[in-house]
Amino acid sequence: MSLRLSRRTLLRGMLGGAAVSVGLPPLECLMNQNGTAYAGGQAFPKRFGVWFFGNGVLPDFWLPREVGPDYTLSPLLMPLATHKPKLTLVSGTRVATINTGPHLSGPAGLFSGDAIQNNALAHATVDQRIAEVVGAETRFRSIETGIQPSSNSYSYSAPGQVNPPETSPFALYQRLFGEGFRAPGESTAPDPRLALRRSVLDAVGAQSQRLRGRLGSGDRQRLDQHLEGVRAIERQLQRLQENPPNLAACRRPEMPASDYPEQGGRLPVLERSRVMSDLMAMAMACDQTRVFFHMYSQPVNNVLFPNASAGHHQLTHDEPGAQPEVQAILRLIMADFGYFLSALDRVEEGDATLLDHALILCTTDCSYGRTHSLDEYPMLFAGSLGGAFRQGTHLRAMGENASKVMLTVLQLLGVRANEYGVGPGRVTDGLGGLVA
Amino acid sequence: MRPVRAVLGALLVLAGCDEAAPVTADAGAVDAGLAPLVDQPFVAPAPVLRRLTRAQYTNTVRDVLGDDVVVPRGLEPDVERHDLVAIGASEASVSRNGVEQYQSAAYDLAQQVFRTPARRARWVTCAPAAVRDDRCAETVLSSLGERLWRRPLDEAERARLVGVAGQAAAALNDFDRGLEYGLAALLQAPDMIFRVEVGDSDRLGPYALASKLSYFLWNGPPDPALLGAAAEGRLGTPEGLSAEVTRMLAAPAARRGVRAFVSDWLHLQRLDAVSRDATAFPAYGADLPGAAREETLRLFERLAFEDVDFRDFLTTRRSFLNRRLASIYRVAFPVPVSMATPETFAEVTFDESAPRRGLLGHASMMLMHAHPTSSSPTLRGRFIREDLLCSPMPMPPVNVNTAIPEPSPNLRTLRQRLAAHSTVDSCASCHRLMDPLGLSLESLDAIGRARLTDNGAPLDTRGDLDGRPFSDLRGLAEALRDAPLLPRCVVFKLYRYAHGREDGDGEFGEIVRLERQFLLSGYRFQTLVTALVTGDAFSRIGLTREGATP
Repeated sequence: MSLRLSRRTLLRGMLGGAAVSVGLPPLECLMNQNGTAYAGGQAFPKRFGVWFFGNGVLPDFWLPREVGPDYTLSPLLMPLATHKPKLTLVSGTRVATINTGPHLSGPAGLFSGDAIQNNALAHATVDQRIAEVVGAETRFRSIETGIQPSSNSYSYSAPGQVNPPETSPFALYQRLFGEGFRAPGESTAPDPRLALRRSVLDAVGAQSQRLRGRLGSGDRQRLDQHLEGVRAIERQLQRLQENPPNLAACRRPEMPASDYPEQGGRLPVLERSRVMSDLMAMAMACDQTRVFFHMYSQPVNNVLFPNASAGHHQLTHDEPGAQPEVQAILRLIMADFGYFLSALDRVEEGDATLLDHALILCTTDCSYGRTHSLDEYPMLFAGSLGGAFRQGTHLRAMGENASKVMLTVLQLLGVRANEYGVGPGRVTDGLGGLVA
Repeated sequence: MRPVRAVLGALLVLAGCDEAAPVTADAGAVDAGLAPLVDQPFVAPAPVLRRLTRAQYTNTVRDVLGDDVVVPRGLEPDVERHDLVAIGASEASVSRNGVEQYQSAAYDLAQQVFRTPARRARWVTCAPAAVRDDRCAETVLSSLGERLWRRPLDEAERARLVGVAGQAAAALNDFDRGLEYGLAALLQAPDMIFRVEVGDSDRLGPYALASKLSYFLWNGPPDPALLGAAAEGRLGTPEGLSAEVTRMLAAPAARRGVRAFVSDWLHLQRLDAVSRDATAFPAYGADLPGAAREETLRLFERLAFEDVDFRDFLTTRRSFLNRRLASIYRVAFPVPVSMATPETFAEVTFDESAPRRGLLGHASMMLMHAHPTSSSPTLRGRFIREDLLCSPMPMPPVNVNTAIPEPSPNLRTLRQRLAAHSTVDSCASCHRLMDPLGLSLESLDAIGRARLTDNGAPLDTRGDLDGRPFSDLRGLAEALRDAPLLPRCVVFKLYRYAHGREDGDGEFGEIVRLERQFLLSGYRFQTLVTALVTGDAFSRIGLTREGATP
């Protein structure tokens, strides 16, 4: 990787990197007596994220035998034992939209509420709908990330418009914490170049308007997406002229290595996952974003996990019997999810943690990988949105439409929605048991 | 992927694989002679807004700003839809992260242009009279703009850019810094990032046509001569268009264009994601996929520009190898080791007895259509059906057990294990179309090395392609060469690639015409390309979806 012309160097050149520290009052002074909110009465922000992995689960080893708060963790969930009080396992639901695309129809039904069109999702996904509400104030409305190098994601900002994940820890660091980021206490002297950048964006916006009138509606929508991205940069420049959010746990993380290449044909999954988890946790601790969509691994991925004799996807189909190798991979994935939850849970916010103020949905692309079934859809939540979401239980919702879960999630995060989904995916009620 | 039409008006619908048979029956008519010309009015589909692919963005920047500029690597990734990145580019927008990346790249490139004296001198042809000199800035930015936006800028656009540059020059007290902001605006504009295929009536305008030609033939932007031909209206006459096409095909960039098509058709970008277990394949290294891609690109490029039968791509004994590939293929490398770098590719001709022929023997195909620790006859067979014969295989049915039996003393080879598995009807109807083809390629392993046994048992590489039997990879290659669906498939792929969308019903007559021209030329790829771009359909545009002309 050429460091000479990296984004960091560039921004340092363009913006002058004029970060200077000014004395700010101790952070605790900014909170109220109870430590549940800022002194101004403003609550800690809600966060939402999807933590996705590919190739489904083994329902026999995923589902706990008992229901309710006193359930015993299943073998595949054992790596999450320390987080059990903050987990909610929802079982028994089914993605009701038509199942025509293995590994694709499930996430399409869950995240967009509808069947696939042209092998793509036909609507904006829940993370983006939530980001519209929850992410409006942050530097990044949402971030899309991943571990496995790929441009595919199940986060869509509009019909057919995928948000490719950032899978390089180095690039993610540069975007979040490179030039343009200021830790609490750092304040930037006014830089005339910010105004110049805005005038460039104005010119780009004007070109969009000129072009717009000459296009059909579909292409106009695509152009508007681009323009939306331009406006998002304008908002980022605006943020640069304000003081950074003042959060106690926020600090600039260590810069990751420039690359984490394969070793012996194996992706260093664990290493990459940990670096990404730490960066994502700090992105939220520093309130750079409140919404994420993380593609831990891709649908149909053939990643060679440590000690596995074949690629993950191949094993889900070809390994006989109880699939001990697939089980080992799933336990490893859950351990990585656990590492991420720990990273969030270490971030203290008042008398609770960032995880308590968040809602994370861990899910996959089908139920039983070998058959691509969409019944008994695996959905594991962590966090409680500050007590709004029920946690510490196994909620059995046999035969319920998975859309109900998503409707409740949307509503708890402040999205004004009375219904969710299309056709067989459509519901008008949430799943009441999820509300604390 | 939309299948190719078997007969006019009757789409080949593959609800299940049993219906796949009619393709070959109809194709027999082509085999016997010429496909009948279709007397059907041409109906052009609505124009498309095409995002530059990463390669096109890079080529545009390099062709215009200098081939030594360093194009930042972090750019919005390409999207593949309907089996082509070229079609994905007509459906994708730009994500928020992508817009940020284009912004970073724009400022980075702008600095490279104006802070390097030689590059600066090429564009700053006037001497600024002051820190803010709008006339000089306009000269610089309108010539840059015409190349980057592939058309002249109108007055309002020039004024806007000059305003940006002037404001920046004044604020930073530096004329060149002002130009940097002006160029950054040019590079971030949708006019740079998207190709706008518009016209005044049912035809592309001259500049839109110039871009469509150059991104198809060169995978890059129009050069000044092509823009000149557009300005003078020469692309609107058959003679003028023909002269430009001849000139363009003779230019070095035409090789880049052919490579871009092959790369998209065969999904060679997927080689970036290939990896192999080092324990199962000690000979594998991270350099292999790149070398393998180069072999495939070089062979197609060479055959296309030697103007030989396109179908030789399947059966030729010629290839282009570097040292690495030569050792994988166990053939002598004709260049002395001391003179060869990993970039040194040499032409070799395999022996008559060699186990490989043409594309099917390429490590690229074996690497792409396999698992990380083993080969996959099903994936290889699917590649032949879908990419070479344009016969899409349906998704596997849901809720069936997909496991194949473990190896046992009775079921040692993959062929034996797959046969035991193919007893479920809903699976067998498709697998019998894919697996037998893939099994004949088992003589090459998952990194392209030749082998005689699988798991200690001798390989059985016999098979048949829709009734034509063969005994091994070489026979399969010959059978594919003679399959009428092969040239038809490449015509469809090229047509979709050129237009950035699937073909519409009203375009079938044009496609039949192209297929005929291709056949009459003895399957010369250049003839097909020329027929495509000089045909009436290339510049026609239909109504936008609202029913208004754009």
